[in-house]
Amino acid sequence: MIVALEVAFGLVALLGAVSTALIRDSYGKVISLGILVAGIVPFIVDRGYLDVAIAVSLIAPVATIFVLMVVRREQA
Amino acid sequence: MNATLVLGLAVLVIGVLGVAFVRPKTYVARLINLEIPAWGLLLVMLAYDEALALLTFVAVTAISTFVIVRLMEWRDASC
Amino acid sequence: MIALYLVAAIAVFAAIRVIIEKNTARKLPYTNVMNFAVAGALVLLLDHPLSIVAAAAYFVGSTLEANAIASTYAGGMKR
Repeated sequence: MIVALEVAFGLVALLGAVSTALIRDSYGKVISLGILVAGIVPFIVDRGYLDVAIAVSLIAPVATIFVLMVVRREQA
Repeated sequence: MNATLVLGLAVLVIGVLGVAFVRPKTYVARLINLEIPAWGLLLVMLAYDEALALLTFVAVTAISTFVIVRLMEWRDASC
Repeated sequence: MIALYLVAAIAVFAAIRVIIEKNTARKLPYTNVMNFAVAGALVLLLDHPLSIVAAAAYFVGSTLEANAIASTYAGGMKR
């Protein structure tokens, strides 16, 4: 990959990881987890593992929806 | 040193510190922080070109998240 | 090649804008902006016939995730 793109998507992934660890609100944590996944998927595609990228893209929202079942019960 | 390996190790260390010193000490915040080292370990596996490990690790992470969610709903309704 | 840099810049801007936003309901449109930018970057990044399938899968998955978060935040389905 081009170096500027590695810096850009690495910055997105690091911002997602740090904000997921530091934000105290549960919905903010889940949204920041989406940012972390959005920063990691271009690295998987760039190495050529397109089947792994398809599997990650379809399984990560399912895990987020599982977490949302607990978050809704906590906030209510 | 590859850029993928460096980024994966950084995300792994941030996630482990986030799980160990979680700020609101609830089960939900610890479960959400537990997702971060999984993605960091996925990047480390990506740096060493392990395709089968990547596929099985993603599936097992989702299944274990579902199991922990069901356990938290069964243990106490207030979390 | 200029389109790839533009899409990456939009993704970084939208990610920073999501993180510095305080209101939760106002974070979600910028999350959608970042997801669309990353989906565009995936299809431009690698010259392979299966790349469009990966971009479409990421598009569908991220839109489903953002809509699930918005629906749960707005109160969910009343049963």
